[in-house]
Amino acid sequence: MGGASSINLEGMKDADLLIGVPLYNNASTLGGVLEAIGKGVTRYFPQARTVLVCSDGGSTDGSEEIFRKTLSPNLQMVFATHPVSPVHKILPPYHGIPGKENALKILFETAQRLQVKACAVVDSSLCSMTPEWVSLLLRPVLEEDFDFIAPLYARHPFEGTISSGILYPLHRVLYRKIIRYPLANDFGASGKVLRHLLSRKIAEDENTRAGVDLWITSQVLTGGFKIGQSFLGPRVQNVRAGQGNLGTMFHQALSTAFRLMEEHQGFWREDGEIQAVAAFGRPEGNPPGGSFDPERMIANFRLGAKALVEIWRMILSPETARGVELLQRLPGSRFSFPPGLWARVIYDFAAGFHRELVHRDHLLKSMIPLYLGWVASFYVENREAPASAVEEKIESLCRIFEDQKPYLLEHWEGKGG
Amino acid sequence: MEAWRIAILDSFNHFMTRVITFLPNVLAMVTILIGGLLLAWIVKTLLSLFLKAIHFDQVGERWGLRHLLAKGGVDTSPSSLVSRFLFWLIALITLILAISALELNATQMLVAQFFMYLPNLLAALLILIVGYLVALFLSQAVLIAAVNAQVDSAKTLSRAVHWFIMILILTMALYHMGVAEKVLIAAFSILLGGIVLALAIAFGWGGREIARDFLQKWVQKKREKETGPNDAHHL
Repeated sequence: MGGASSINLEGMKDADLLIGVPLYNNASTLGGVLEAIGKGVTRYFPQARTVLVCSDGGSTDGSEEIFRKTLSPNLQMVFATHPVSPVHKILPPYHGIPGKENALKILFETAQRLQVKACAVVDSSLCSMTPEWVSLLLRPVLEEDFDFIAPLYARHPFEGTISSGILYPLHRVLYRKIIRYPLANDFGASGKVLRHLLSRKIAEDENTRAGVDLWITSQVLTGGFKIGQSFLGPRVQNVRAGQGNLGTMFHQALSTAFRLMEEHQGFWREDGEIQAVAAFGRPEGNPPGGSFDPERMIANFRLGAKALVEIWRMILSPETARGVELLQRLPGSRFSFPPGLWARVIYDFAAGFHRELVHRDHLLKSMIPLYLGWVASFYVENREAPASAVEEKIESLCRIFEDQKPYLLEHWEGKGG
Repeated sequence: MEAWRIAILDSFNHFMTRVITFLPNVLAMVTILIGGLLLAWIVKTLLSLFLKAIHFDQVGERWGLRHLLAKGGVDTSPSSLVSRFLFWLIALITLILAISALELNATQMLVAQFFMYLPNLLAALLILIVGYLVALFLSQAVLIAAVNAQVDSAKTLSRAVHWFIMILILTMALYHMGVAEKVLIAAFSILLGGIVLALAIAFGWGGREIARDFLQKWVQKKREKETGPNDAHHL
C-alpha cells in the first residue's frame, strides 16, 4: 500500500498548511475546487507556505490533466495516487471516492512529514466551494488553537434526513458534543488530530471502508479534542449515477454508525453533559431542495410493515413493535411517526445490530421502510413550516433521543423486553 | 438311570461351556455400553459448553432456528438440541457396537448394514440442516430486497424462493439416503417442469397484460436508476 513516503515532494522539507483533495473521476468539478482553493490561499494566507495534495483513486476521465494544467502562484501542488479495494470498484461508497481512507492516510502522513500547522480536506466533487472555505476550515485551527473544525452546511430543511433524523441525534447523545453534520466530508484539523487519526490506523480499520467521514468524527469526539464548526454555506455536489442509491447509502452510513457504537461503547455508556461547540462564519439561507413524494414513502412503509413484521419483531422490543404496528393502521391523512417511537426504533436496531439478532445486512436493509415512514411523517407535519421551525423540530428530536438514552442502555446487552 | 444322569450332566456341561464362552461377550457388551454412554455424556457436556462459548444460541436466533423450533413446539435451545442429538447418535452407535460384541450371526449382518448406511444418513441430515439455513437466508434476503423495490407480492416471492430451495434440498437428501432415487428424480423433474410450464402459460397467455406492465415498469425503473433521479439528498 502506497504511503506518504512514496510521494515526490520535490525537496520540500516543511510547510505551514496542507490542503488535501481526495479525487476520483471528478474532472467536471475539480477545476472549480482547485480555483477556489487557490483564491482562498492567496486571499487569506498569502504569506503561508501551502501545499495542495490531490490523491487520486485511478481516475480515467482526465482529472489528472486538469490538475496538471492548474497553476496557482501561492501553492505547491502535488499529485498522488492511492490504492482502491476491489469491493469499492464494484460498489462505490456513498461519498463517491473509492479508497478514500487510503487517500486520507496519504494526506495525513504527508502533513506530518511536512510538519504543517493545520490541514484542511475538501471534496473534489463540490460545485459550491468558495475561497472562504479555506479560511473557515483553517483559521480556527491556526489562530484559535482548535483541533478539529467540522462543516456546517446550509441545506434545504428536508435534505439530508439520514443525517438529521438518525446520525445527528445519535452522535449527539453518544459523543456528547453538538456537531450538526457528523459526516466530515470537508474539515479542518490540527497536527495533533492527524497524529491521533494515524495512530488509530485510519486505512486498516474496517469501519473506515464504508464511512471514513463518520469514523473521523467519532475518533475526534472520543479523543478529547477542542472542536468547532464552520458555516460553509450550501454544499452542492456532482453526484454520479448509481452513487446516490438510498439502499447502499443507508446501509453504508448506518453500518458504520452502529459499528462505531460498538467500538466506543466504553465512552458513551458513561454519563456526561452534552456540550455545544463554537461556531465560525455566518449562517446562510437554505437552498431549494429536491422533490418529495410522501405518499410513495408511506406506501413503502406500509408494505414493509406488512411483509417484514416478523423480522422487525425479532429486533424491536414488544412495546416498540406494537407502536409500529399501530402506525400501519393509521389512515394516510393521520399518518404520524411519533419522535419517541422513532428514537426507540433507532435504539432497538442499534442494539439488534450489536447483538446480531438478525443477519446484519438484513437488519439494516429491513430498516429502510421504517426510515421512509419517519421521513414522510416529518415532511408532512412540517412542510408548511419555515426552515428555522423545522430545525427546532430536529433539536426537539435530539432532546427526545437524549431522554430515551436509558432505553438504549437497557436494551444494548439485551436486558430489556 | 445312569444314562439319564449322563444325558443331564452332558447337557448341563454343554450349556455351561456355552455360557462360559459367551460370558466374555456379554461382559464386553456391558463394558461397551457403559463406556459408550459415558463418552456420549462427556461429548454432550463438552459440546454444550463449546456451543455456549461461541454464542451458538444467538447465531441460531439470528438464523431463525429458535423461531422454527418454537413453531414446532420444541422449547429447547439450539445448543442443547445439537448436544442432545450428538449424545443419542453416540448412544445409538454404542448400542450397535454392543450388540455386535455378542457375535451372534443374526446381529452381524444388521450391524454391517447399519454402518454402511450411517454415512448416507449423516450426509442427508447435514444437507437438510444446511439447506434449511440457506433457504431461510435467501428467502429473507429476497423478501427485504423486494419490499425495498416496492414489489407488492414480496411475501409470495420470498415464500416461493423458500419452498423451491426446500424441495430441492429434500430431494437431494432423500436421493442421498437412497430412497427411490429414480422416482424422486422423475417427480422432481415433473414438478419443476410443471412449475415452469404453469408460469409460462400464466405469464404468456393468461397474464400477457400483466407481464407487459411488469416488464415496462422494470425497464423504467432500471432507466431511472441509471440516469437519476438519485437519493443523494437523504444523506
